[in-house]
Amino acid sequence: MSQPAGKVALHGDNQDWRDPLSSAGQRMRSLAGIELVPEVIPSLESFEQMVKSSLRTNKTPDMLKYWSGYRLQDLARTGGIEDLTSQWEAAEEAGWVDASLRPAFTHQRRVYGLPMNLAYWVFFYNTEVFAELGLEPPTSWDAFIDVCGALKSAGITPLHATTDGRWPAFIWFMEVLSRQDPVFYEELMNGQASYTDARAERALLTIAEFSDNDWFTALDMNHVNAAAGVMRGTVGMMPGGTFFTPNFVSAGGEPGRNLDAFVLPMADPGAPPCMIFESSALVCTVKGPDKREALEAAGSWLHPEVAEAFSHTLQDGSPNPGVVPANPMVAGIVDTVRQSELTLLNRFWELGPPELVEATVDDLAGFLLNPSSYRSTLATMQERADDAWQVWREAARS
Amino acid sequence: MSAFTTGRPRRRIPVRTPAGGARHNGRQSRKMGGPLAAFPWLLPALALVGVLLVYPFFRSVYGSLFEDNGFSRSFVGLDNYSRLAEDPIFSRSLLNTLMWVAGTLLLPVLLGLLIAVATYRMRFGGVAQLLVVLPYAISGAATAVLWNFMLTTDGAVNQMLRAFGLDGLTHSWLLEWPHNTLAMIVASTWQGTGLNVVLFVIGLRAIPRETVEAASLDGASGWRMFLYVTLPQLRAVTVVVVGMAIVNSLKAFDMIWILTKGGPSRSSETLALTMYRETFRLFHVGYGSAIAVVLTVIVVASAWLYLRRQMPDSARN
Repeated sequence: MSQPAGKVALHGDNQDWRDPLSSAGQRMRSLAGIELVPEVIPSLESFEQMVKSSLRTNKTPDMLKYWSGYRLQDLARTGGIEDLTSQWEAAEEAGWVDASLRPAFTHQRRVYGLPMNLAYWVFFYNTEVFAELGLEPPTSWDAFIDVCGALKSAGITPLHATTDGRWPAFIWFMEVLSRQDPVFYEELMNGQASYTDARAERALLTIAEFSDNDWFTALDMNHVNAAAGVMRGTVGMMPGGTFFTPNFVSAGGEPGRNLDAFVLPMADPGAPPCMIFESSALVCTVKGPDKREALEAAGSWLHPEVAEAFSHTLQDGSPNPGVVPANPMVAGIVDTVRQSELTLLNRFWELGPPELVEATVDDLAGFLLNPSSYRSTLATMQERADDAWQVWREAARS
Repeated sequence: MSAFTTGRPRRRIPVRTPAGGARHNGRQSRKMGGPLAAFPWLLPALALVGVLLVYPFFRSVYGSLFEDNGFSRSFVGLDNYSRLAEDPIFSRSLLNTLMWVAGTLLLPVLLGLLIAVATYRMRFGGVAQLLVVLPYAISGAATAVLWNFMLTTDGAVNQMLRAFGLDGLTHSWLLEWPHNTLAMIVASTWQGTGLNVVLFVIGLRAIPRETVEAASLDGASGWRMFLYVTLPQLRAVTVVVVGMAIVNSLKAFDMIWILTKGGPSRSSETLALTMYRETFRLFHVGYGSAIAVVLTVIVVASAWLYLRRQMPDSARN
């Protein structure tokens, strides 16, 4: 496990991050004398298993690419990961990190992870198809509905929705609910509101309406095929994180030429405007063999040069606001965020006890397959939430 | 030996039973062939089975008596098992597992037998067998990727049905239960039949020519020949094939994991998937161990019951 002096291993679950981490590591070597060595376990399950089973041993990896939000809190509770508050504060003082991201990396007022990427949740579309049909990316909810109708009339399936791979079943609930009532979304996701609330029901009814309009693709179409469908002109829009961009590129998409993305407009114009973000956490373990070097590496992770090398190779957003956006599409999204002063809300997957999220994604998949079951779905989700939050709070007290 | 002799055939060759060597005097029997004589030879196998199978099983039984989240654990006795009995997913999972057992017994075994019998004397039969066996060389994961391309709503199967004007037969194969489980059983049949063909062909080649000739002279042919001569002679191979089919179907995993991950909404989970999800996704290690124990008991019990009924006794070929 241990690396030679001047090198520190960073374990993750995503093969696509190998090159970005290498280029960030090379830049880090010239700045801080420490090089990152990416180690990939290309399976979410195996990676998580390895982390949780090794954390209490001195065979644990030094650095991890982990999830933010409650998943990070879950890990912090074990006492197996380092407090990185001082690294965060130093970066914030230097203007190297977007301060609004801090809560997503905090457990009991201490920071346990540093943001690695900043993926924005957007709607991808094919600019050539839109131009052909005389459509503009929507800037209001009504315009979004009109675009869906126009695409449908043109024989194009307007929206991608899927249950393939289990986790994506939450995407539509997250997008619609956050645009209808961002405050309620935050409350619900943090266990302060109920799934049986009329506002949650309204979100599901909106999705059911989209489904009744036949606006959704087949629910077993995965993201790779959906991205290809967008580029071929058979699928109109695909909701997803900016980390999906490579899928479009490999299907012939080019940000700034025939591929672009917009932020789903607010359904309630009176609500504070928001969008969903996703950011992986850079974590240092307590028992890692190269802990000293890992902490030093964490200290220079958000340095503009390192952050830029990473985000430009990854072609995604950066948590360091000073980094030049990696491509025109990301630049456009960053402009929207700044101009509209969008509040960044963490993704469904990272909010709430992981056990609850793991179960509710299956409930939402059941709803997508049978939209008329919206009431029973919400009742089931609330039952799960009651149990899961009770366990979570008890664990917090112990 | 004639196929039409009644009663149990007697071997002409003296059979050496274990420890049944020459027993001229007690001294010699102590020297070799005593009841413990085989023990040193068994030791490596026993050690291997003990370390790799027996110990993990009892470790799982022990683990299933705890509430264990991977970090902390507390003894809860049989609580995990009572929770399992009340879990609605467990019954669905059990039903899917039984569907896999029935489907795997029905399709790959029957198809394997039919293809072997139909092709083993046929001209170019070897080529036909090779084509059927080829998918067996592909890993379960790769097979699943291939079938995903076939079974999705916009996939090859539905496109073909539409091309032939059979729109009414199209389905969202992977999205609806029981279609998803049945479709995956078909996919695994495509992959697994080849091995059964090989085993049955070996069995067919082992049937003595004299037996078949004698039956022909007595007027047996076609279906009667198959039913009264070929099939009984294949009994030993059938035991192996069916035994393997039962065990493989009970631990079906990779195909399901890649095609549906047990979804949508957990509708296509089998016990193996439920165990994996509870243990490695949710870190309910104790609960997952309880599922593993239940699955092991089912596998071992069904294999033991079947083999006990079917194994030819040791005095026969």
